[in-house]
Amino acid sequence: MGSQGDVRNGEEENMAAWLVAVNTLKIQPFKLPSLGPHDVRVRMKAVGICGSDVHYLKTLRCAHFVVEEPMVIGHECAGIVEEMGSEVTHLVPGDRVALEPGISCWRCSYCKQGSYNLCPEMKFFATPPVHGSLANQVVHPADLCFKLPEDITLEEGAMCEPLSVGVHACRRANVGPETNVLIMGAGPIGLVALLAARAFGAPRVVIVDVDEFRLSVAKDLGASETVKVSTNEEEVAGEVELIKKAMGESVDITLDCAGFNKTMTTALNATRPGGKVCLVGMGHNEMTVPLTPAAAREVDVVGVFRYKNTWPLCIEFLRSGKIDVKPLITHRFGFSQKEVEDAFETSARGGSAIKVMFNL
Amino acid sequence: MADSAEIMVQKNGGEEENMAAWLLGVNTLRIQPYQLPPLGPHDVKVGIKALGICGSDVHHFKTMRCANFIVKKPMVIGHECAGIIEAVGSEVKNLAPGDRVALEPGISCSRCDLCKNGRYNLCSQMRFFGSPPTNGSLANKVVHPASLCYKLPENVSLEEGAMCEPLSVGVHACRRAQVGPETSVLILGAGPIGLITLLAARAFGAPRVVMTDVDESRLAIAKSLGADELIQVSTEMKDASDEVVKVQTAMGTGIDVTFDCVGYNKTMTTALNATRSGGKVCLIGLALSEMTVPLTPAAAREVDVIGIFRYRNTWPLCLDFLKTGKIDVKPLITHRFKFTQEGVDAAFETSARGGNAIKVMFNL
Repeated sequence: MGSQGDVRNGEEENMAAWLVAVNTLKIQPFKLPSLGPHDVRVRMKAVGICGSDVHYLKTLRCAHFVVEEPMVIGHECAGIVEEMGSEVTHLVPGDRVALEPGISCWRCSYCKQGSYNLCPEMKFFATPPVHGSLANQVVHPADLCFKLPEDITLEEGAMCEPLSVGVHACRRANVGPETNVLIMGAGPIGLVALLAARAFGAPRVVIVDVDEFRLSVAKDLGASETVKVSTNEEEVAGEVELIKKAMGESVDITLDCAGFNKTMTTALNATRPGGKVCLVGMGHNEMTVPLTPAAAREVDVVGVFRYKNTWPLCIEFLRSGKIDVKPLITHRFGFSQKEVEDAFETSARGGSAIKVMFNL
Repeated sequence: MADSAEIMVQKNGGEEENMAAWLLGVNTLRIQPYQLPPLGPHDVKVGIKALGICGSDVHHFKTMRCANFIVKKPMVIGHECAGIIEAVGSEVKNLAPGDRVALEPGISCSRCDLCKNGRYNLCSQMRFFGSPPTNGSLANKVVHPASLCYKLPENVSLEEGAMCEPLSVGVHACRRAQVGPETSVLILGAGPIGLITLLAARAFGAPRVVMTDVDESRLAIAKSLGADELIQVSTEMKDASDEVVKVQTAMGTGIDVTFDCVGYNKTMTTALNATRSGGKVCLIGLALSEMTVPLTPAAAREVDVIGIFRYRNTWPLCLDFLKTGKIDVKPLITHRFKFTQEGVDAAFETSARGGNAIKVMFNL
């Protein structure tokens, strides 16, 4: 039974999925703020679950962000514009839009220099204390709502968010038509990184994982070669050899989408002198890795934090067919109490569940 | 002084026998004959006049290895050098006998992808003075490609010419880390490399440089060379978070670039935590193999880690900095020795001691 919101006094009551305690999500009313002149009100249609959403559910925290009071979960979303603020000119009711979650301040030096993803005042859907978007409706700045082309679905619109992580990583690591790419991990992020690397023109992409099913998905999505690896740190040297063989030529760029000591060690050792390792996955705080020998080969380590200015490119990749994200959506749920619980359980399970999507 | 290299053995009709300082075993350097290869068409023969000792030379001396380089047979030591051209090969046009030159130590292959893309310092076939198995240049004479010999401006001494080599490490690091008039710089470690990095950072226009070290006297030298603020730190990991606050406070603004000229877990931890989001940490000091550092929180703030291996295309810029006075390396030369057995032994002992010995220089 879908939670469309009770109609009271002719006004629909907006409902959302609130994180109220560890492992406890409740669909409850969510009062929207008033619509500012530059805002739009969007009816949510598609919301994907991210590993960070699962982490908040299970632990009420993620890195140094701590959930101290009930918070609406969810941030990977797309929907239909229903109402616009007085200054909004580029959107009209009925427009289908993908939402970029984070509202930055636009006044600090980071924002002014274009690195708004690093803004210290960032307000990001479902990063406490900011409410997320797994709700019937949200209010959001219009400039963070990107119109979807006719033939791009709302689910694909919601996929722009995780895809943006892959796109931003490829930009930071300078993936292009001459860079052979190694991807550590074929989970949701490794897979969007694969799609992005291909779209950026990487001639060869080798992807590794411990899970054969995920490797087979990667192969279907265009990986040149896959290598099954273990979690055993003793096996790094052997795996580096297998990887180099699978690549055939030198590994120019490695995207570590797992973020463990072993994967970073493999990345640092497998990448050619002068190459780059991009740490995307956030596993442990402190890492024990062979940093010095890598630095002495001028293998640089670049980090990524979310993304910046990626929606237009993601939408273009989807529109042109350079990227097809639809195979990543493996499970779908409606917006009801039971389905919210089942969806998160499925996503937390991992395995054959890659992207779990809500249809509202 | 029968074994003094100052007394050249006259052989074969007046040709001096070339002598060099050979590394024969752990802690064992001997001045012995060193036969030069024939002069190729693109080579020059250089009479070495000034040569500095590097930490890597000391490391080879003490352990017969340095990282993956292992000394398996006797090898001439030394690589930071300058001298006077004595002879030029048939194809050499831009140098003539009598020219004073600084030498870039490494001969790369020019054929591999890295060389052809300009990153010749990473060439896998690199033959580098004093990196086994390639003989170094602590000798009366060496033969070297003319293209790696750079003419010294009139007002730049041979000792300053020899200093171009360590200075090149700092220059290369400042380039890779993109130091400029808007980058505030933190330098961890005020040893020889930290100090030339300071000089290079200033020359690249860094508006503010904060330096740390455990040794007060080295911090005092850093101050005299132009560091804005000095912070004395400890070797205790537990002090790291306090020290991060201290360096950030000393800088005043966000720290854009940190050069770790030491390369320990503690210094890299400090560097990764102190640098502002979107900034860069440049790892120059090559101390450990495996490091345990807070890499993830730094990566999640887009603090990038940039590696440095030697340098590339730095001599012209170093010489220009020296010529214009933008950089003065002379204060770094603290000890001088002659090229005799006693001089070589004493020089290496002094350099290994560290402390108030910054750059130990041979005058030949």
